[in-house]
Amino acid sequence: MEAAAVDAVIDGLKRSGVDFVSLMPDSDFSVLQALVANDRHFTYVPVSNEAIGVGVCAGAWLSGKRPALLVPTSGLLVAAWPLTSLCMAWNLPLLLLIPYRGDIGDAFWLMGPYKDTTEPLLKVLNAPYSLISKNEEISKAIVDAQGSTISWQRPVAVLLTGETIK
Amino acid sequence: MKRFDCLKSLAPLLDPKTIVVTNVGPICREWNALRPSDANLLQVNLGLCAAVGLGIAVSLPHRQVVMLDGDGNLLLNLASLADLANQSLHNVIHIVLDNESYEGGGGLKSATAGKADLAAIARGAGIVNASIVTSVEEFEAGARRALNNPGHYFIVAKVEKGSVDKLPTLTLDGKEGKYRFARYIESSEGVQILRPRYTHI
Repeated sequence: MEAAAVDAVIDGLKRSGVDFVSLMPDSDFSVLQALVANDRHFTYVPVSNEAIGVGVCAGAWLSGKRPALLVPTSGLLVAAWPLTSLCMAWNLPLLLLIPYRGDIGDAFWLMGPYKDTTEPLLKVLNAPYSLISKNEEISKAIVDAQGSTISWQRPVAVLLTGETIK
Repeated sequence: MKRFDCLKSLAPLLDPKTIVVTNVGPICREWNALRPSDANLLQVNLGLCAAVGLGIAVSLPHRQVVMLDGDGNLLLNLASLADLANQSLHNVIHIVLDNESYEGGGGLKSATAGKADLAAIARGAGIVNASIVTSVEEFEAGARRALNNPGHYFIVAKVEKGSVDKLPTLTLDGKEGKYRFARYIESSEGVQILRPRYTHI
């Protein structure tokens, strides 16, 4: 992920009012993760798996924070249970920011299955999403997704692909 | 030791503003009967009671947060203990009512019926104040100590299976529980949580 994309994500998170970020600190988007972790604007709660992250964000939102979960496509599968048992069952909002490993163009064979799982899973979890492939679109997409998740009371995702994750 | 008796001894010790997060199953019905309040967040599903409590405790560090967890619920996401410990919180009392079974799901044994020791696991995760109690008197003393001294406490109460007769039915679902709790936090913290937007993009 290049610096321009990282900066645009941080800008979007701040412009959308996000003040709480949870993530599992284990992916190849570690530059973004480190910046979020060290930015005092955000309450930062690292977790040991993304299912815990969904629960943490639910508790944060219910306490007046505006959380976002930074989740890789693999971690989205781990998060599926609380996205169902909390977010779907309780109608809870959650901004999901997903670097789309496994999208077309990702040459690593091990990422291939995530093309099959990511978008269908978001659909069955009743979580609308935007596909963003240009750096200049990132910030607005995050702002829009945050507005929608709060209004609609269900998770909304931004899938980062193309040049945004090069 | 009966779970209901533990909870009955805990309820009068709590400040009305103490936030209580409970798992789903008999614990939430018993707690709702003993301490009905919009400061309760009831019915958090398997594996998530500690995670949701963590999110609340980090976000509201000036509020006391009690988690009423079950052994089965916690076992599903044991790593929550490590994540809780690493936040160095001073407002958490995490109580596990350990009946060594999945009582809400039919009563089959959980791992704590075997070799698992949740207090030892919690200590290993970094929670120094972790203990096991086996009598209501011990439970009440431990709860009182935790409530009166800021810190992060983990109390495993070894309880029998089974609830009490004639518990009132819990008539709210997660959606209503969410609204009640969020409105309560809005009024008690002076924040706006539920904020529908009516503007066009």
